[in-house]
Amino acid sequence: MVDDLYREIILEHYKNPENMGVLEGGIEMEEVNALCGDKLKIGVKIKNGIIKEAKFRGGGCAISMAAVDILLGMVIGKKLSEVKKMSGHEIEEAMGVELTSSRKKCAYLGLEVLKKIK
Amino acid sequence: MNKYKKYFPIFENNPELVYLDSGATALKAGIVLDRMNGYYTEFSANINRGLYPMSEKATEEYEEVRKKVAKFLGAEHGSEIIFTGGATAGVNLVARSWGEENIEEEDEIVITEMEHHSNLVPWQELAKRKKAVLKFIEVDETYKLDLENLEKIINSKTKILALTQVSNVLGTINPIKEIIKKVKAINSKVVVLVDGAQAVAHMPVNVIDLDVDFYVFSGHKMYGPTGVGVLWTKAQRQLEMRPSIFGGGMIKEVTKEMTTYPLGPEAFEAGTPPIAQVVGLGAAIDFLESMSWKEILENEDELTKYTLKSLEKIPEIKIFGPISERVGVISMVLTGKNRPGAHDLGDILGRKFNVCIRSGHHCAMPLHHKFDLDYGTSRVSLGIYNEKKDIDKLIEAIKYALDIFNCIENG
Repeated sequence: MVDDLYREIILEHYKNPENMGVLEGGIEMEEVNALCGDKLKIGVKIKNGIIKEAKFRGGGCAISMAAVDILLGMVIGKKLSEVKKMSGHEIEEAMGVELTSSRKKCAYLGLEVLKKIK
Repeated sequence: MNKYKKYFPIFENNPELVYLDSGATALKAGIVLDRMNGYYTEFSANINRGLYPMSEKATEEYEEVRKKVAKFLGAEHGSEIIFTGGATAGVNLVARSWGEENIEEEDEIVITEMEHHSNLVPWQELAKRKKAVLKFIEVDETYKLDLENLEKIINSKTKILALTQVSNVLGTINPIKEIIKKVKAINSKVVVLVDGAQAVAHMPVNVIDLDVDFYVFSGHKMYGPTGVGVLWTKAQRQLEMRPSIFGGGMIKEVTKEMTTYPLGPEAFEAGTPPIAQVVGLGAAIDFLESMSWKEILENEDELTKYTLKSLEKIPEIKIFGPISERVGVISMVLTGKNRPGAHDLGDILGRKFNVCIRSGHHCAMPLHHKFDLDYGTSRVSLGIYNEKKDIDKLIEAIKYALDIFNCIENG
C-alpha cells in the first residue's frame, strides 16, 4: 500500500535514520515545535565554516524525523553560511512531497535548529 | 442515522465528515447560527448604550442569556454570571481579579496534574507574582486523582483549589462534590474554582450542589459559538474581586484623577462584549435543554464503551484513561517500533478518511510528561452527533495508517 505523503523515502528515513545519534565534542542546539511539543536536538562539528559532522536526537512524528534525517544528509560538507540561507522548500523538494502548513512546521524544525548556530 | 445529526448544518456541506474532535471545539447547532444571524440582521446594536428600540432589544436579549446561564448551572441570580471570552479568559479573570487581591506571599494554590494549561499557567504566573506556593494533586495509575493524600496537600495555608471537572486528555470525571467536601473538612476557607469546559455539554451541572465558588466554561465546546464563555461566581466571591480589564461599559464615574466601578458582573465586562456570541450561547443552552439529559448520557456512554472496545481490538493501541467514571474523551498511542506518531495518525486520518481527531499534548504537557508521553497522543472526543458508524470508520482508518507504516517490512 502506498500513501501519497508517507512515501517510501520518508518511511525509510523514519525507520532507519542515517544521521541519528549523539555527537561527542560538537556544538548542540535544540528547538521545540510549538505545535506538537516535539523536541529536537542537533549536534554539529564545524571546521573552517564547513559542517563536517551532524547528528540529531529527538523523537516525534515520521515527517519531522525523516525531514531532519534528510536535512542533515544535505548539509554535511556544506558551509554553515550557505545552510543558513536554505529555505524549507528545499527540504520539501528533497522529501519529494508538498506539505500542508501544519506539517511544514514539523519538517522545517531541523533547519530552525541549524540556523541558531552562531 | 444519528438523530441529532440533522441539527448540525455542517453535515449538509460535509455528509461524509467524521468529527471526533469535539473536545477541542464542538460543531455548531443550526439554532445557534440562526439566533446569531438574527442578532446581526434584526437588532445589531450595542448594549447598555442606545435609548432606541434596537439597542433596548439587544440589551434585553443579552441580559436574558445571563439569567438563562444561571438557571442552566443551577444558580439563582443572573448577576453571578460574568461573560468572558471563554474558559481560559474566565480562569485568567479569577487569577487577576480575585487572585491578585486575595493571594499573599506563602499562601498555597492547589491544582491537579491533569489540568489543561489554561487552568495551570494562570496559577503558576500568579504564584510567581505573589511568591505563593503552587501544589499539585497527583494523578494515579488508574488515571484518577489521588485523593488519599489530600491531607498532605491541603492545609491552613491553602487559599484556592482550581481543578477540572472532566480531564480533556484522560476523559476522567472528577468527583467534584466529594473532593470539595474533603477539602473543606480540612480547611473550610478554601475557595474552589472548577473548570467545566469539558463537562457542560456532557452532563447536567449544578454549581450550588457542587458547592463551588467559581465555575468556568466555554460556549464553543457545547455546540455554541467561539469567542464567548462564562464565569459563574458565588455572590460573595464577586465582591472580593477587583476589575482587571478597564474601559467602557464598566464604570460608575470617571474623573481625570480616578474612577469608580459599579457592583455586579458588568464591572468585569469592559468594552463591547461578544453580543452575538452571547445570544448564540443562549441558543446552545436552549438546544441542550430541549433534549433529555438521560438520553444524551446514555447515548454517549454507550458510544464511549463501543469506542473503547473497538480500539482495544487493535493490539498496537494503548489507551490512557480510566475504564469507568469517564466521558468519551479517549487518548491513545500506537506502541511498538516505527509506528505512526500522533501527528502522522491525525494527518492520515484526516487526509484519507475525513476523520478528524486531535494530535499532540492537548494543552496538558505536564500530564503527558508524567506518563512518558513526550511525543504526544492521539485523542478521540465524542459529541452528540457521533454514532457507531463513525467509530467503524476510525478503526478502518487507523488500520490503514498502520499498514502504510508496515509496508516496507511486509514487502
